[in-house]
Amino acid sequence: MLLPLVLALHAAVAVLLPPLVRLLGARAFLVAALPPAVSAVWVLVQSPSIVSGAPAVSSVAWVPALGITFDFRVDALSLAMVLLVSGVGAAIFCYSAGYFHAGERGLGRLAAVLVLFSGAMLGVVTTDNLFALYVFWELTSVTSFLLVGHDDRKEHARRAATQALVTTAGFGLLMLIGFVLLGAIGGTYRISELVADPPVDSPWLPLALVLVLAGAFAKSAQAPLHFWLPGAMVAPTPVSAYLHAAAMVKGGVYLVARLAPGFADVDPWRALVLGFGVATMIVGGWRALRQDDLKLLLAYGTVSQLGFLIVLGGAGTHVAAIALIGVLLGHGFFKSTLFLTVGVIDHQTGTRSISGLSGIGRRMPVLAVAATLAAASMAGLPPLLGFVGKEAGLEAFVPGHAGDLPPAVALAVLAGLVVGSVLTFAYSARFVWGAFADKATVSERRFKRPSPAFTAAPVALGALSLALGLLPFAVDPVAQSYAAPFPAEKPYHLALWHGFTPALGLTVLVVAAGAAMFLRRRSVARLQNAMPRWPDAEVGYHLFVHAVYGTALSVTRRTQSGSLPVYLGIILATLLALPGVRLAAALVSGETPLPGGADFRFWDSPLEAVVAVIVVVTAVGTVREHRRFAALILISALGFGIAGLFVLHGAPDLALTLVLVETLTTIILVFVLRRLPATFSVRPNGWAKRMTVLLCSAAGTFIAVSLWLMTAARTEEPISTGFTDLAEETGGRNLVNIILADFRALDTFGEIVVLATAAVAVASLVLLNRRDRVVDEPTEEDAEEEAEAEAEGAAAAAPGAGPAPAGGAPADGAAPTDTRGGERP
Amino acid sequence: MSIEPGRDTGVRPEDGGPPENWEAPRERWLSTAVRPAFGPRSVLLEVVARLLIPAILTFSVFLLVSGHDRPGGGFAGGLVASMAYVLRYIAGGRHELAAGIPMRPNGLLALGLLLACGSAAAPLLFGGPILEVFTATATLPVFGKVKFASYLVFESGVFLIVVGLVLSVVAALGARMEAEEEEAKAERLRSRARRPRPRPAEGGNP
Repeated sequence: MLLPLVLALHAAVAVLLPPLVRLLGARAFLVAALPPAVSAVWVLVQSPSIVSGAPAVSSVAWVPALGITFDFRVDALSLAMVLLVSGVGAAIFCYSAGYFHAGERGLGRLAAVLVLFSGAMLGVVTTDNLFALYVFWELTSVTSFLLVGHDDRKEHARRAATQALVTTAGFGLLMLIGFVLLGAIGGTYRISELVADPPVDSPWLPLALVLVLAGAFAKSAQAPLHFWLPGAMVAPTPVSAYLHAAAMVKGGVYLVARLAPGFADVDPWRALVLGFGVATMIVGGWRALRQDDLKLLLAYGTVSQLGFLIVLGGAGTHVAAIALIGVLLGHGFFKSTLFLTVGVIDHQTGTRSISGLSGIGRRMPVLAVAATLAAASMAGLPPLLGFVGKEAGLEAFVPGHAGDLPPAVALAVLAGLVVGSVLTFAYSARFVWGAFADKATVSERRFKRPSPAFTAAPVALGALSLALGLLPFAVDPVAQSYAAPFPAEKPYHLALWHGFTPALGLTVLVVAAGAAMFLRRRSVARLQNAMPRWPDAEVGYHLFVHAVYGTALSVTRRTQSGSLPVYLGIILATLLALPGVRLAAALVSGETPLPGGADFRFWDSPLEAVVAVIVVVTAVGTVREHRRFAALILISALGFGIAGLFVLHGAPDLALTLVLVETLTTIILVFVLRRLPATFSVRPNGWAKRMTVLLCSAAGTFIAVSLWLMTAARTEEPISTGFTDLAEETGGRNLVNIILADFRALDTFGEIVVLATAAVAVASLVLLNRRDRVVDEPTEEDAEEEAEAEAEGAAAAAPGAGPAPAGGAPADGAAPTDTRGGERP
Repeated sequence: MSIEPGRDTGVRPEDGGPPENWEAPRERWLSTAVRPAFGPRSVLLEVVARLLIPAILTFSVFLLVSGHDRPGGGFAGGLVASMAYVLRYIAGGRHELAAGIPMRPNGLLALGLLLACGSAAAPLLFGGPILEVFTATATLPVFGKVKFASYLVFESGVFLIVVGLVLSVVAALGARMEAEEEEAKAERLRSRARRPRPRPAEGGNP
């Protein structure tokens, strides 16, 4: 089957795009349109069999050993989503070729990420595995982060991108927990199997559903998490049209609609979906009415429509399911048309503010007609697809037609939808008026007419709204196929005319009230201004982010004091408190016998005693020494003494390495000591020092005793028994090195990797610390200043000599000071 | 080589001791213009560095190749070699150190890892287990019977990584201290500009 190949095609084209953009400029977007076009054509070819109830299925083995596969399953709902993601996507890519200039910064990256996003979104709506869905879902979050933050030199673009990412990906984590719970209680991670056989008996199911819904709501910008969507409008307009109208924000709706056939009857589902959906629809519509920026108006309008879609997708009744498909497709087409229209206006006139636009409709008539059609579709006027969908949506909640919904609930939801629709009509009218009307108070701007190719995409998408509205039977089979699992009391079809139904009456009411609201827009604006300011969810987001920062800072401040003695003290104290206490207890209770008896001897040769005395004396001397340099020499002598013990025990290799390491450490410490005070700052014999000495002696004693016990505790044959003979075989006589480089070479290999990592880390840490110093390297001016200072000093010192001595190149003037007056530590 | 006259003749400090540069050699002992990592130049240090560094490096290679049979090996050899470079750095400063090694410390680390990985992975190409050791013995004209084992390549990787580690630590610490000395110097200059003190006239400054 072709779908995995189509996904791979997205990735491949994304890789090719940056060089192509360098070569072709913005025209490379036409190449970028190829993968979505292929997938749209593919799904259209498959559609007859999909609609007839046979989903297109394919499966690619991912980790065959663990039985993990990529399962893909395209049914009617996926078909509708693929049409939006890929069909609208291809149109938007073509539009982008006219929208962007070749000189746009980071255009190659933008194109590549946009294609990657398209592929990820295609994956979200076609995969049949919860984990794969989560991976694709987060891919869309990450690519959307990159797309919203496209203009990375603007701070508010970066902030909006971060906000969108934190909100959607943060709640995505909750969703992941929900997925894991669902999979665990359902026994499978295949979505189709879960929906067909939901684990309704499990007490964990409500929790799992709440978590999944949280992720879906964040992605689909449901109130109170809707704030990221208007913020994300800093993205370039084609990106907004694609991500925030057609594709990404529909992800949450898709997930809700995908799970609704199985889970709509489980308890908190309907309450959450209907409550949040209706609230979002009203809040979004209300806010959209206040916007002056056309793009923000559309953004809040999208929030409102997403609430509508969530209500339809989650309601879980036959008619609502049919309405969902109608509104889903309708919204995808009209909202992308409107966004692209705003893009054209912004591109040509340089503004998208209602108070700055006038006479656009006369100058761009074709665009104005297309956009007006789309806005009419958004407002729910016949004969457009939006009307067909909204009619069905209202019908779904008319009491008596609402399936097994309680009549009171259905009535409440219906009232909410009507209010939302009135607001939708009002802001749709406001959009058309704001974008295209002649306004007496606004002077017209000069601008160039857009080229026909540039306006082709919005016009085509607007025409599609009209065509599908006139021919609703083209969409109806898809809707019927999706709604098939829901019990139907009587058949319902998407159509322009159902007779005189309550829904038609409501539509008339909506149009009348909406028109009144638009005509009395001044009073409405006054009312809106008089309303108390609602608590803003964005404030909550900022409070949350600041709380996280604050907690992180205070935890860091308390645990990372920056003092090495404190860190070492904590490590040693832990060592003593856990294994140390255990060892002491074992020794006291006699659980661990002390080795010794006849085998115990103090030394092998008396020379060892001599060296041991040296070690002990230097150790005590180091502790008592107050001058740093002397302490360093003493501690080096101690190290050499221990090397001597190794020699006496017949380990020359160990001794050699220890001597070398000691020497090198001493040299490096001398480097450091030059910059430190000559004596230790701690009071010589204060309590702090006594505690330190006590702690260190205890730790040393613990290590010594435990080593002694461990070497005596051997019960098995050591693995080194045969090593001498094996070393003979390999032809070497130095057993230590043969072990290091041959027998246990893998360990050595790991160690050198650690060494290399440490080298890079040490160097970068030390350099990082002095970054500020690197930046202010002495510049020419500084050097001159220095020379002047020098000259002044010289003039002051010898008034007769004049300023001559310090003449010459600034560097020369500064050079002698190099060696003069320097205090040596 | 630049022994500027100004530096060479030096200026007597205020306490009447010998000039700051009295230890500096008049001859050229090292390969670059010498600016020690810290402190004044010293003829003793430079001569010792010149004479000893080749010997130390030779010794480090000896330790590397004789590691199969005698004490030594890649780790010890690397430490010895890095000590030669540390000596060179102390005597001659950053540029002298850079002149002595063909690449930067990170390059040494990379090359070392490459050698180690290569020798670890090479047996896989011939169907052997990872890190398998091959030995070959040959009779060469001057050296006589010479034994070569493939872990010598591995040990060379260890050697280079140790040298790279020490050098990057030294370079990082040294760079930091050089920057701090620069800062201290600027601070001294500034404080002197604020309150001028009487001092002897400029000596042999051109």
